[in-house]
This record gives sequence, C-alpha cells and structure tokens, in this order.
Amino acid sequence: MRPVAYTKQLVPGTKNPEPDFAYVNTFNMKQEKIITLEHVTKRFPVGDGEFAALRDITLDFQKGEFAGLVGPSGSGKTTLLNIIGSLDSPTEGTAMVMGKRISALSHKQSARLRNLHLGFIFQVFNLLPVYTVYENVEFSLLLQNRSASERKKAVMEALEWVGLEKMANKKPAKISGGEGQRVAIARAMVKRPEIVLADEPTANLDAKNAHAIIQTMKKLNEELGTTFLFSTHDEKVMSYLDRLVHLNDGKVAQDELVNHKTKTP
Amino acid sequence: MIRFLLKGILRDKNRSMLPVIIITIGVTLTILLSGYLKGVMGDLTDQNARFETGHVKVMTRAYYENKDQLPNDLALLDAAALTDTLRKAFPDMQWVNRIRFGGLIDVPDGDDGSKGQGPAVGMALELLSASSGEIQRMNIPGALVKGHLPARSGEALIGHDFATKLNVKIGDEITYMGATMNGSLTFYRFSVSGTLRFGSAGLDRGAIIIDISDARTMLDMEDATGEILGFFESNVYNDDLALAHAARFNSRYVQVRNEYAPVMIALRDQNNLAGYLDYVDMFSLLFVGIFVFAMSIVLWNTGLLGGLRRYQEFGIRLALGEEKGHIYRTLVYEAILIGAIGSVIGTCTGLLGIWYLQVHGIDISGMMKNSTMMMPSVLRARFTPDLLYIGFIPGLFAMVFGNMLSGIGIYKRQTAALFKELEV
Repeated sequence: MRPVAYTKQLVPGTKNPEPDFAYVNTFNMKQEKIITLEHVTKRFPVGDGEFAALRDITLDFQKGEFAGLVGPSGSGKTTLLNIIGSLDSPTEGTAMVMGKRISALSHKQSARLRNLHLGFIFQVFNLLPVYTVYENVEFSLLLQNRSASERKKAVMEALEWVGLEKMANKKPAKISGGEGQRVAIARAMVKRPEIVLADEPTANLDAKNAHAIIQTMKKLNEELGTTFLFSTHDEKVMSYLDRLVHLNDGKVAQDELVNHKTKTP
Repeated sequence: MIRFLLKGILRDKNRSMLPVIIITIGVTLTILLSGYLKGVMGDLTDQNARFETGHVKVMTRAYYENKDQLPNDLALLDAAALTDTLRKAFPDMQWVNRIRFGGLIDVPDGDDGSKGQGPAVGMALELLSASSGEIQRMNIPGALVKGHLPARSGEALIGHDFATKLNVKIGDEITYMGATMNGSLTFYRFSVSGTLRFGSAGLDRGAIIIDISDARTMLDMEDATGEILGFFESNVYNDDLALAHAARFNSRYVQVRNEYAPVMIALRDQNNLAGYLDYVDMFSLLFVGIFVFAMSIVLWNTGLLGGLRRYQEFGIRLALGEEKGHIYRTLVYEAILIGAIGSVIGTCTGLLGIWYLQVHGIDISGMMKNSTMMMPSVLRARFTPDLLYIGFIPGLFAMVFGNMLSGIGIYKRQTAALFKELEV
C-alpha cells in the first residue's frame, strides 16, 4: 500500500503532477520493497476467545526507509515488529521480509533470517554483561562464522560509527546508558543488516542521549542505506522519522510521510 | 565460538566458580563416603578372612558343628595328603593349615611360682614355612610392636596388650597350659620373640601365635590340623567363586556318612557373614546410591538455576539470530566442561582424602576397650578403581542432565515474547 500522505506532501512541491513519478524521483534509492505486509492479522487466544492484536494490515517498506510504527500501548506496534523480525508469524495474511514469507519459515530459517538480514535494538540495551563492548558487538559475527580478521575489522568499524572505538575493552557495567545504547546499535549494525528493528530505543535515555542516538541511526541510514523501522511513541524519535505509520487498535490509522526539510527536529 | 563461551564461563563466577565448587564438594563427599564404606566393610570381611575364616575353610563336619568350642579332638587327620589334594583340585587358591586352640598362659617367676596368668586364644600358623605366605597374610611384620618373628621352633608371639598385662618382656618364657587333641593335659614352654598389635582388641589382649609344628607337638596333633584355609591368589574374596568351589568339593563327600569327613565352607557361611555380606552389598549400594542421587538433585538444580539465571542472555541470543538448537548445545557443552572440571577436582580431592584415611585411618580403639569382637580398631578407607569414575555420576551426568532439562525451556520459549521479555 502506497502511503497516501507521502504523495500529498511531495506533489505540491514538484512540477510533476504524477504522484508516483515524484515518489520515484525523490526516493529512487528506496524502490526495492524490503518488507511487504498484505492483509496481516494476528490473533492471540485469550481465555475462551481471541484477541486481535493486528487487523488486516497492508503495508510495505522500501529499502533505506527511516520509518516508525507509532501509537499508544496495545495498538499492535510490537506485534507487528515481531512479525517483521520473524519472531512471530501472522494468523492470516502474508508477511514477506527480504523476499521470505515469514509464516513459511522454520525456526532455523527464521533464526538465519535474523542473523543475516535483521538487526535488533531494544529499549533496554540488553548487552551481555560478562563480555566487553568489543565482544558484545562481535557476537553476531561469530554466529556467521566470520574469520577473526574479518570480525575485528567489522567490529572496529561499527564502533567507529557510534564513536566508541576507545571503549572496546570496557564492560557494559562501566559505560553510561547512552554509550550502552550506542553499543547496541553497533551490535545491530556490525553485520550490515538490511533492516534494523528498534523497539523504543530511546525510552531509557535522557533527551541529550536520545538525540545523539537517533542522529547516529539516521546517519547510518543515510550512509549505509539500512532500513530502520522503529516502534515508538517518543516525539523526539518521531521528529527524525521520514515516515510514520500510526497504529490504533491493531489497524493502520494513518500512514504519513514527513518532509523534514519543513521541520526542525 | 568456543573461545567466546570459555570467556563467559571464566568471567561469570556464578556460571563457573559456584557450580564447580558445588560439584567439587559433591564429588569429594561421594568418593570419600564410597571409599570409606568400602574400606570399613571390606576391612571387616578381610579381617575375618585373614584371622579366622579364610576365603574358604575345610574342616571335619563335626568340627564345623562345634567350631566355637575349638574342638581339636574333631580335627582333620592326614592333613598333608588332604592339603595336597586341595592344591591340585583348586590351584587358584593358596592352602594353609591352621590350628586354633584355647588355654591358659602362665608367666613363671623363676622360683617355681607364677608372675601372672591369663586366658589365651592361640593360633598356630605355618610361620616357619616361607612359602605359606601366612606372615604376610596376617601382616605380622606390620603388627610387630617389639621383638622379632619366630625364627625357630619354641618361639611365640603374643598380643602386645597381653604382654603388658602379664608384664612379659621379649625373651621371657611363658608356659601354655591346655588340653591335647586326645583330651590330656599339656604344658608347653615358649620363649616370647615378639609382641603384636593387630588393631583387633580381641587379639591384642589375649592372643598367642606359634608355629604349627609346635602346636602339633604340644597338642598331639601329628599330621592333623583343625582347619585348612584357602585364600584366593588375588587376596580378594570372590563370593560366587568361593561358593562354587565349596559346592564342588562337598559334592565329593555327599555320600559319605562319616562325621569326620571334610567339608568346605565359604566365608559367607561362617561367623554369620552371609547376612553381613548381603548387608554390606545392599547398604553400600543403597547408601552410595542415595548419596549419588541426592548430589545429582543438588547439581541438577544448580544446572537448572544456571539455565534460569541466563534466561535473558538466551533471549538476546535468540533475537540476534542464534538457533535454539545451537544455544541448547552450547549450554550442554558448558555443563560438560564445568561438570568435568568439578568432577576431576572433586575426584582428586576425594582420592586425597581416601589416601589419608587409608594410610592413617580413624582410631576407634578408645571406644573398644571392653570389646571382644573381632573388628579393626582403626577404621580405614580403601581405594578401589571404581572411585576413579563414581564421582562423575553426580558431577558430570547430573550436571549435564540438569542443564539438559532446564535447556528444554529454550525450545519452549516463544520468540514472539522476546521484545516484551527483554524490556524488563
């Protein structure tokens, strides 16, 4: 489903009256559909009945998008993130991620999809406390059986992206919350995933750190072309996003493209 | 990945140090208990075999019926021929003649009077025959407190406490007073060549040990013997084989109605040892089994708690794309590593304890001052080959089993709940 707000905002600023044309011209880097959801419904058994967390969701995300799922608690943000992250599968409908149909994947294939193509950033940084910053970032690459030299190069590069190369040997307990979340970003990014799923990544950070974190992610999005999909209700995060998918009661209430040139984050 | 996991184990003390300490303690206790039980129980069997029953014993039927009275009037005749027959028929055993006797020991004062007297239990062994192995079997050199082994006929060894009580010194003469095989009174003078302490209160306080040739002269038992004892070459009692030998020997005399016909009795059928041996087997098995089971539950719980404590870590690893099977396998590998380290350390410390208890033992002589029971006054553990691996049952298998059970939770874990769980 093409976001309606997208064309509404872009068309007035262009001479071309064709919304699709404008879309292609402006976002020609983002034309590859990386996530496609068609009529996705997710129901959970509750007592004798069922609760529908997602209802008939049809959405797609292009490669390189910096988008967010926004909405109040219980609106279905995390459920949708779970399905896109191959942690869960829809009850009805089709969810395609990186060309893979989520409901058709075995546990092993799901794990492989997450390992190779998806990065996760959690609200709590969830670093492994006994390992150093370097080792936490290295872990994803170990799962991919990369050589030691490859791992070292990739880990140091990822730490440079987030400005923590000098903290490589520190343990998570010795770094601040903001640094911890930057390590989590480096961990998610080190394997160069196509998609990064971030669940309330700034919820535990102060305003200064939250801005720094979101700027870091935005920079990575622009430089590496990684698709970032957030689940958030944080205004600070929303102000950086190019697209906001508003969820309410498990339905898409609004799919809004945001032109940041007209906004100051 | 292995290096990564090792780093985790070494750095996380709750994951390594604590389980290793628990396993080490558990394995050490298992080995100590098992070795101590084997030592104590085995000592009792061994002591009975060495001093009294042999692994099998041949007597006349009548002697066997009244053996508590030391009835030498019912002794075996033609002992040499019968011993030869036994050596040929059962070459896997060493056969020795022994005569047990009771009587009174008098210590003369040199003026036709008596310095002291005391009842004695006598044992006549093939002391002067180097090939009999009796000196080693009875561990006489080890038990010798003062003096030397009898080097010639007419010399005797007596219990050290007995000697102290009678104020007998090495080289002093003592007189045995008792009855011959034919019932007549006999007096026989010995020179005390040494004093012994076997660690058995009954023997130490009233034993006299002489060469069997002296006993035969003293008791009119020419070519006769009260008992012919058979010992397995390995010196380890084999109940099944002993019973088989006895059955085979006795089958030759089934038709003989003579009460002087020889009969072979296995160790288990003497001194009420059957019940004891069964009790030892059952008790050892039960006690060690219960202990191993209890330790297994403790270590299983250690593994279980370890798995629960790492719930969040496993969640992160699942989210990062590690397969459930891989996480489960690494959990098991870690348990094997920790279990093996703890079991090896525990086995070493346990064996060290066993060595100490085997060499030094626990002296219970203070509790046995008035005891006449034939049992060692120093309880010792015994090293047996099974101690090398028994600790691995609770240490390795229980630990791995506990982790395997707790690890099943990894498979049951709903990845869909990961985001929620990892928010905590």
